[in-house]
Amino acid sequence: MVREVYFFTEMGYTAYSQAEARRYGYNNLMFPNEQFSPERAQQLYAMYFDELQYASETGFDGVMINEHHNNPLSMMPSVNVIGASVAQRNRKGKIVFLGNVLPIHDNPLRVAEEVAMIDILSGGRVVCGFVRGLGQESMATNVNPMDNRERFDEAHNVIVAAWTKPGPFRWEGRHFDYRIVNPWMKPLQKPHPPIWIPGVVSPESVKWAAEHQYPYVALAPPLSTIDEIFDYYDAVAAEVGYATTPEHRGYVIRVSVADTDEKAYEEGRHFFWQLGTTFGVAPRHWLQPPGYVTRAARTSRREMARTGINNVTPGGPAIGYDEAHATHQIVSGTPDTVIKKLQHIIDVADPAYMIFWGREGLMAHDVAVRGIDLMTRDVIPAIKEYKADREKGRHSLAAAGR
Amino acid sequence: MAPFTESLVEAAGVRVHLRRGGSGDPLLILHGELGVPGWLRAYESLAQDYTVHVPSLPGFGQSSRPAYILGVRDLAAWVTWLVRDQRLACPLPVIGFSLGGWVAAEIATVNAALFSKMVLVGAAGLKPEEGEVWDYFIHSNRDAVARAFHEPARSEEYARFFGKEWTPADELQAEQNREMTARLAWKPYMRSHTLAALLGGVATPTLVLWGREDAIIPPGVCDQYARAIPGASARVLEGAGHMPEMEQPDAFVRVVLDFLRA
Repeated sequence: MVREVYFFTEMGYTAYSQAEARRYGYNNLMFPNEQFSPERAQQLYAMYFDELQYASETGFDGVMINEHHNNPLSMMPSVNVIGASVAQRNRKGKIVFLGNVLPIHDNPLRVAEEVAMIDILSGGRVVCGFVRGLGQESMATNVNPMDNRERFDEAHNVIVAAWTKPGPFRWEGRHFDYRIVNPWMKPLQKPHPPIWIPGVVSPESVKWAAEHQYPYVALAPPLSTIDEIFDYYDAVAAEVGYATTPEHRGYVIRVSVADTDEKAYEEGRHFFWQLGTTFGVAPRHWLQPPGYVTRAARTSRREMARTGINNVTPGGPAIGYDEAHATHQIVSGTPDTVIKKLQHIIDVADPAYMIFWGREGLMAHDVAVRGIDLMTRDVIPAIKEYKADREKGRHSLAAAGR
Repeated sequence: MAPFTESLVEAAGVRVHLRRGGSGDPLLILHGELGVPGWLRAYESLAQDYTVHVPSLPGFGQSSRPAYILGVRDLAAWVTWLVRDQRLACPLPVIGFSLGGWVAAEIATVNAALFSKMVLVGAAGLKPEEGEVWDYFIHSNRDAVARAFHEPARSEEYARFFGKEWTPADELQAEQNREMTARLAWKPYMRSHTLAALLGGVATPTLVLWGREDAIIPPGVCDQYARAIPGASARVLEGAGHMPEMEQPDAFVRVVLDFLRA
């Protein structure tokens, strides 16, 4: 059963020139930041924060936030700054950080302190996700991507130790060294805020999440790959010695809801606002800097699916809007239509946590608000009542020939 | 072409991918960040006078990678062990290309007994006083080899090794070499904070050689090296980029042999 539903937007910086991006052939990392206007960003922040607040007050269980660098995809280059702001504005609802980009920090204790502060400030409403970041994040912060996974792992260990182990103590690791670990700030939630691991890509990350018994949150993947992700999670869990439940699974899905199917379909186009894509266009070697993806994972179905969609060399997007509907990477329609489509996804994935990526791009504020109203009034109650039929989900995948 | 051998040998704790040819005294080649594409025409020419040893450094080519090699100085230490384990008569001449030039220079700062003479070609390791070292990591592997030549379309060696359809194995090898370069030289990028000062202690007779049109490491670095190493001489080759040994092999070999014989 779906237990909690969250609202998400990437908070796109929509005011850059698509024509310029087309001219360059990419729209991030090296795309000149003269395209950025602080004044426009101020207006966009105001709108986005209003929507996050509205969503959390009208029926969502909270909001999801994240972090990207050198990228108009997202106006959240510090998830903790965004989280602290949301904690002050939203009087209710959880704040799901998906998440802190661990490898890019040279001082992970700072992350431990900041998340602890926000957990206290919010009255224990933090869900703490950790991510490796896009390849571009390694480039933008100039942290060696060869060390990405090791740093992710060790930073996580430092942070959890700082939260749970009485200080002061010493930490002498491969990437992080502290003679004194004794942060004064510790989280309100005990032993610490829930840790979730979002991803779309690598089997290694799925395995890591399963080994730590952290929920794995699939980020709007093609539905046909989801069984591969969660079956693998289940297999690792069995090796570790526990049985999985829906509480080990989260699912992010683009959702466009409106009063008619046609209107919702048209508004859904806003999710593909960056040169016809959601995540923008970049050469493959930016998304996959050295060592970021293991050479084995490079050829996996998931990775091919991901790079086919998010990451294209100049020449255009690999997936069109209609195809995204076909792969269930977006659902649109009236509440009734969307409920049926989501029930299909729930049959396949059976997640306890769903995150509605509910607004994007140049979608107008009033359209976004109407969408939130329909989601909270009709969609969320319906899917929280729905009992997943995984057998049926598997059959439908098989019938579709994936 | 005279025969050369290509084999995997155990040396200094590493399975070394070694190319070797010629006869006479040993000459050591330390390759650059793009690895060893094959037995180059320049190696063949040098093999008329020397036994030319071209090891793929740990992590490059088919050479294994011990976990402790994380930086250029680790690599430098390993190269001295390789010379020992291969029982090469010391001191011996060395030619270091780009990243390999940096390795050779590091060795020379701490060991005056290993090398009789040192040739640094388009060597990495110093911060250019003018310009920047080209950023391999925001470009593709194919862009990199093209950038390393002044006129790739006119180079026989470019056509032979790079200007063709790349097999999946070629792609994988290029990516592996790129990964090793990232391990060694990601930050500070392709340079050392201390090498410039340490070069003042080098006692090995040194020739610094650069392609006039080097678009990877600015040619001005040639002069920086020559100034930093006591008694070093410098030569710039016309019509060549970052790989004069491949783009102007005859002129390259002539200049190198003049220096080694002098």
